[in-house]
Amino acid sequence: MLLSVGKLNVFYGSAQVVSDVSLEVDQGEMIFLVGRNGAGKTTLLKTISGFLPSGSGKILFDGADINGKPSNELALMGMRYVFQDKRVFTQLTVRENIHLAAYPFKQKASEAEEKVVGIYPEIVRFMDKKAGGLSGGQRQLLLLGRALIGNPQLLLIDEPTEGLAAGIIDQVFRVLKMMKGQLAMLIVEQNLAVVSQLADRVYIMQEGQIPRELVSQADIQDQEQLEKYL
Amino acid sequence: MKSINTTTLKKFDLLFIAIAFVMLGYLVTFQRTTDFIIFCIFVVSYDLIYGYMGRLSFGHMLYLGTGAYATALFCDHVSSNPLLAILAGVVCSALLGAVLGPIVTRTTGACFALINLAFNQVGYFLVLIGFSSYTGGEDGMSAFFGNLGPINFNNKMTVYVFCLTIMLFVVYFVRRLTSSPFGILLLTIKENESRSQFLGYNTVIYKLIAFIISTGIAGLAGGLSILNYTYVTPSFIDPTRNVEVIFASLIGGAGSLYGALAGGITYMMISNYLPNYIQRWEMFLGIMLLILVFWFRAGVWGYLTRFSGKPGKEMGS
Repeated sequence: MLLSVGKLNVFYGSAQVVSDVSLEVDQGEMIFLVGRNGAGKTTLLKTISGFLPSGSGKILFDGADINGKPSNELALMGMRYVFQDKRVFTQLTVRENIHLAAYPFKQKASEAEEKVVGIYPEIVRFMDKKAGGLSGGQRQLLLLGRALIGNPQLLLIDEPTEGLAAGIIDQVFRVLKMMKGQLAMLIVEQNLAVVSQLADRVYIMQEGQIPRELVSQADIQDQEQLEKYL
Repeated sequence: MKSINTTTLKKFDLLFIAIAFVMLGYLVTFQRTTDFIIFCIFVVSYDLIYGYMGRLSFGHMLYLGTGAYATALFCDHVSSNPLLAILAGVVCSALLGAVLGPIVTRTTGACFALINLAFNQVGYFLVLIGFSSYTGGEDGMSAFFGNLGPINFNNKMTVYVFCLTIMLFVVYFVRRLTSSPFGILLLTIKENESRSQFLGYNTVIYKLIAFIISTGIAGLAGGLSILNYTYVTPSFIDPTRNVEVIFASLIGGAGSLYGALAGGITYMMISNYLPNYIQRWEMFLGIMLLILVFWFRAGVWGYLTRFSGKPGKEMGS
């Protein structure tokens, strides 16, 4: 198992946001976390990625206990996090944004560019423009491409289609579909059309807990059933 | 408005800067221009941590003062060789930066500013009282440099040329640094440090390196000050004087090497000549700061480069 979370508890002060959560993600799997706003999905991703401390529980990544490890070490171990807010480094050019992601992994800058262009060919037109001028969708595609630099094993993606226009959602969907099977992904998503078409498994999150896991494709593709959890 | 061609400027920047400071020498005397040059080096050092790394410090005078006193003490007790003495000043400031850096660079915002101020205060009182038997306390101390081969450092013109040469080296070095991946990373730390960490960077180490380089360059400015004045007093480490370098950085435009130079010259012109006309000239500085904060946040250089279509980003790209 690539990622294994066991009985994880997370607190904001005295408030418990994640309670006894356990989940697993295997190599190449695309797993979705579905639930209402405030269910603790983002907190869970942030805790796995080392951004937030956990109260208790186990987080194993590629067999190593990563609980409490800083995010830069996790990145070097092969874990990437694509945040919900789609923030890029606005003062840098698109090219600099890409190159910067390549240096820690000693990947050639040209290879890194190829990787991003591979999933979003139109980005070549913006390479020397400030990334702050990109639209939300362009930023998301840049961030997804940038996350692939250095050949990670696991991507944590928080609401990749949130706030995007329909046309851009299609592009993001196409990119996720292209990436499927190449590496493991744990994705928080509220767009059930995306979930039902891409998910290998779905964890339902409610009030900080995971009461249900959908394994069969019949359950996953039943959007009416899924909607009850939103 | 006619645009500033930043590409041409970048290609020949050292030449343009040298010409500007030679012209300034004819305009305001060469001895005074040496002061300007030294202050510009200090502003460049400050801009590395404020403009590029985004950390406002109220304690950078500590490193200028350390460089100045270390140079003077080395000159008095070890060797009067000006190069070695100034090198001693640089090394001592950088070492102090390496000792305090792990503490201060873990903080941000007001905490960073005030911890630096606190260390500056401690340094000031150590110079004034604690180590007064070595530093001369309130009276300060003198330093007399020997010749370097045929070069006589007691000649003010020699000191001017030497300081200008050193400044050009500093500009070249900082330009290379800020346009390297390291410099680009500093900009990302300023914009969003946690996202830099998610890319795999241990930002603590990069911040520390930038801090040590900055303190070393500040020490260099301190050492050159002694070469220029041949004495040092506690005013060289006075924490209240931090406002000067902050003003200069804001006036020029933080996060730009040329902005730091423009700010340094502008501040020195104001502080050297305005008192001849306005008794409470500091009030004018206050008003100027208000204008900058409300209308010209990118500073003089940022405002000028805006018309070239590359606002405030002429160095990092």
